[in-house]
Amino acid sequence: MPKILIVDDEEGIRMLYSMELQDDGYDVITLPDGNGLIEVIEKECPDCVIMDIKMKEFNGLDLLQQIRKRYYDLPVILNSAYSSFKVDLKSVAADYYVVKSSDLTELKEKLKLALETKIP
Amino acid sequence: MKFVEDNPNRITSAEIVVGIPSLNEADLISFPTQQADRGLVKHYPGKTAVIVNVDNNSPDNTHHVFMETRTETPKIYISTEEGVTGKGNNLKNLFEKALELEAKAVVVIDADLKSISPMWIRNLAEPLFDGYDFVAPLYIRHKYDFTVTNSIAYPLTRALYGRRVRQPIGGDVAFSGAVTRSFVESNIWNEAIAHFGIDAWMTTNAVKTHGSIIQSFMGRPKVHKNRDIDSQVGLIFEDVVGTIFELMLHYDSFWKDVRWSRPTAVFGFGLGDIEVPPPVDVDTHALWNKFVSGVRGKWDVYSAALERENLNKLEEVMDIPAMGFEFPTGLWAKLVYDFAVAYKGASLDRTELIRGLIPLHYGKTLSFVIETEAMNNQQVEEFIEDQCLQFEKTKPYLLDRWG
Repeated sequence: MPKILIVDDEEGIRMLYSMELQDDGYDVITLPDGNGLIEVIEKECPDCVIMDIKMKEFNGLDLLQQIRKRYYDLPVILNSAYSSFKVDLKSVAADYYVVKSSDLTELKEKLKLALETKIP
Repeated sequence: MKFVEDNPNRITSAEIVVGIPSLNEADLISFPTQQADRGLVKHYPGKTAVIVNVDNNSPDNTHHVFMETRTETPKIYISTEEGVTGKGNNLKNLFEKALELEAKAVVVIDADLKSISPMWIRNLAEPLFDGYDFVAPLYIRHKYDFTVTNSIAYPLTRALYGRRVRQPIGGDVAFSGAVTRSFVESNIWNEAIAHFGIDAWMTTNAVKTHGSIIQSFMGRPKVHKNRDIDSQVGLIFEDVVGTIFELMLHYDSFWKDVRWSRPTAVFGFGLGDIEVPPPVDVDTHALWNKFVSGVRGKWDVYSAALERENLNKLEEVMDIPAMGFEFPTGLWAKLVYDFAVAYKGASLDRTELIRGLIPLHYGKTLSFVIETEAMNNQQVEEFIEDQCLQFEKTKPYLLDRWG
């Protein structure tokens, strides 16, 4: 069962995503911000990270750069209420960028693609 | 292949080699040479370096202008023999020279660059000292600049090899000593690669062989010799597409196993304000004429190369009037894949086959221009990403036909 790490400072989002993704058969772990993110990745070895960008003390784009330094090929989906961060070149390092919506269809579709990706 | 070498400082080793390939660039080569020198002096004062002009024995005396350009960094001039041209042939000489010099970092910049700053040298070289093997450029380009990249080189190489390198034929790249050696040892070489296919060849080989690839943001748009869409296509299309198709033959055991794609990390943020790239003139009427007359003139090629269903769809597209013209990306991807399969089959002359793709490229470009007319650069990037995803989604069709 693929393990998904959700990093979001909104508790409601963490709960909604956890329920929906668990219903779809994923194993879900969550973090409320970037504190200890690399350690959690190290320990839990998630198959994909779904990460908010605008968090209180953390910027998801900077956290993405930290992830990429150590985990070059770990799938990361940026998930923000704002589409404006797409203009930031740091977002290029994400597998996908999905604007938050109550309809999780696009997020789930991109998650599926990210998990299916294979490069020999 | 090396023919003439002018090495007045008798340089026998260098940690960093900056290579500038050229053909008749006497008017422009001094500027990138000076900028490279400033970059090396400012950012790498503790490392040995050399600037190498790899030239095609240019009759305009590029050799003299390059060697007379004032620099603190020593310079070497190398030329192919008289009558031998091609950017690829020049870079082959550079690979061999860099290996001989035992370079740890090789940076390649175009000789006609007008927007290069010393920072470009740092941004291209620095990731190599941080463990990366190959550095591709990331520029802000006008949406209609280098349509060959947007319509075919980027989506096709990404769908094939699974790595998102936005400028796979960008020209300004850097690579490690290990990659240099792999380039020298590669036995895949032909006329297209010896000319403008070399950029696609380098990126593809790096992506296929070495995992540690990064894109480096150059900060400034790439400004070089003024070329409209038509002259860009005429200059590079056959070489670039011919090279990608040729490499597909050699690397099919790799790309057939690739599914979807992964991003490539980016180096070089915080470079100040992003400059707006210069406009590129587009004549939609001329694109339409080249598409329609070209397709009519090469219908025998399409009849032989395309699947019947795709041929019918192409006929449908031909019936759409210029005003409101649209060339669906799903169809475009299938046509490109049909051409790749026909290239493999070799029942058609391969040069004629690739030339047959050019009118379709004009049609796709016209569609792109119409669809993105009101879009800003960011919206265009998202549009291109969506096109790339369609190439990836259509890949099973290629796998099925390739065999």
